[in-house]
Amino acid sequence: MYEADRALVTRMRAGEQRAFDEFFKASAPRLVAFIARRSALDLATLEDIVQCALIKAVRNLASYRGEAALFTWLTEIGRHELADAYRKAARRPAHLSLDEPDSIARVEEQLRAPENQEPIAQLQAAAQRTEVMKILQSLPPHYAHALEAKYGDGMSVEAIARQLGLTGIATQSVLARARDAFRQRWLEASTDAGDGDPVK
Amino acid sequence: MTDQPPTNPGSDSNIERTLTDALRTQPLSEPRLGRLRAAVAREWLAAMGAGEPAIPMRTRWLVLAAAAVIAAVTTALWVARPTIPAASIGSMTRVEEGGLAVRSGLLQQRRLKSGDLLRVGDRLTARGPVLVTLTRGGTLRIAAGSSLSATGPAELSLERGLIYLDIPPGSNTESPFRVATKVGAVEHVGTEFEVKSDDKTVRVRVREGRIRFLGTADTIVADAGTELLVTPGKTILQRSIHTYGGEWLWTAALAPNYEIEGRPLIGFLTWVSRELGRPLDFADANARQIADRTILHGSIRDQSPFEAMSNVLATTSLTYEIRGDTIWVRSGP
Repeated sequence: MYEADRALVTRMRAGEQRAFDEFFKASAPRLVAFIARRSALDLATLEDIVQCALIKAVRNLASYRGEAALFTWLTEIGRHELADAYRKAARRPAHLSLDEPDSIARVEEQLRAPENQEPIAQLQAAAQRTEVMKILQSLPPHYAHALEAKYGDGMSVEAIARQLGLTGIATQSVLARARDAFRQRWLEASTDAGDGDPVK
Repeated sequence: MTDQPPTNPGSDSNIERTLTDALRTQPLSEPRLGRLRAAVAREWLAAMGAGEPAIPMRTRWLVLAAAAVIAAVTTALWVARPTIPAASIGSMTRVEEGGLAVRSGLLQQRRLKSGDLLRVGDRLTARGPVLVTLTRGGTLRIAAGSSLSATGPAELSLERGLIYLDIPPGSNTESPFRVATKVGAVEHVGTEFEVKSDDKTVRVRVREGRIRFLGTADTIVADAGTELLVTPGKTILQRSIHTYGGEWLWTAALAPNYEIEGRPLIGFLTWVSRELGRPLDFADANARQIADRTILHGSIRDQSPFEAMSNVLATTSLTYEIRGDTIWVRSGP
């Protein structure tokens, strides 16, 4: 079913540089986006998590059997890395010792707001993303996957079809049904919130 | 103000805009993506180099079971670890290709550049050779492929790989610098020594001064020119070695820069002698006097000790030759 992905992994395991290039180009930016949508991490931590996930993946290519799309397999590794990161972060002390020479500078750096970014707008965007992700998680997985691929990653219908193992027409149909399902829950959430936008 | 017509939140365009706005994310910058690519490519190449041999299913289960036990023990040890203040152990002085990855705590991983501090609690993986200037005096040189942890202000734990410590006489000696390995600990007594650890054996080679090896069963004091081979459950092997030659070249390649400007020639020659592990001797009293009173100018930055000695002595009336293990300096051609 995922012959192309399996062939790509076989070529990578044979040490073919071009196969690695294809893998990285197709996977890394998407995995970054996938993790970013599910977290509110700074770019450096995001990069660390994606790096750990991709390194685990390339070390364990032999365990990929082509039973799911290669990117789906990667997202599972990414989810574990993200969960690990949160678990580890929860165990870290929530304070810095100001006795350390660099700690005051570090605290100041953390408190400094990013330039050219409006905090209120950012909060609203984050709230909207959280609500959208919540709704996507409540949809059938292939609906959520299709919507995320199309609107998040900007993938073509053909590319999504390959990911889902469907024809182009069937994929268009899935996308239409997924949008309808999303619309219904989005409007329900809007109604529950008492206005036209669940996150206003 | 302009009245805008009410929009239908359920229209196709609004739903598509909502999804796009919420799901589009900021991509990684080109430098970040390039760094990520380099790190993953390196691991991929390493995995390919390992050949990924096919493992029989039964062995695989055994390996998995062993890995699960190791993971559980590691987690328990981590949870039970003592809290150590993050004092500085040293600063990065030279980072060759590949550099040094540091993990502080469990989440933060970063690559260190020259001038960055190494702190107690940092776990280091050297992808390339690294020179660290120690806070308490001396240098630490780390060969590529080594993994170690900074476990105290004057203590390292070497998991695997090769390191070299140069603690010159007169450095802070309130507590001896200590290198812990899987088979015991090495303590310096004002010295230069090298520790190598692999899956089976730990090798300690003393180049100058004296070390104390505290094994699980024995404690051994070893002087300069001694090599100890320690394998768990076996007698510690001890033999004499040269303190110079090809096996020490990796340390000379990581020698710290010596600033010669305004300093006497004798100090420079003593530094070369220590770096090369070869005693320094003078053919005549005149040569020694010249070395004492000559003040150097200029720079030998990024030159190996041998190269620097040739270049510096070429500007004086002294010459040198290697006689046996000794650097023999004389006046005149």
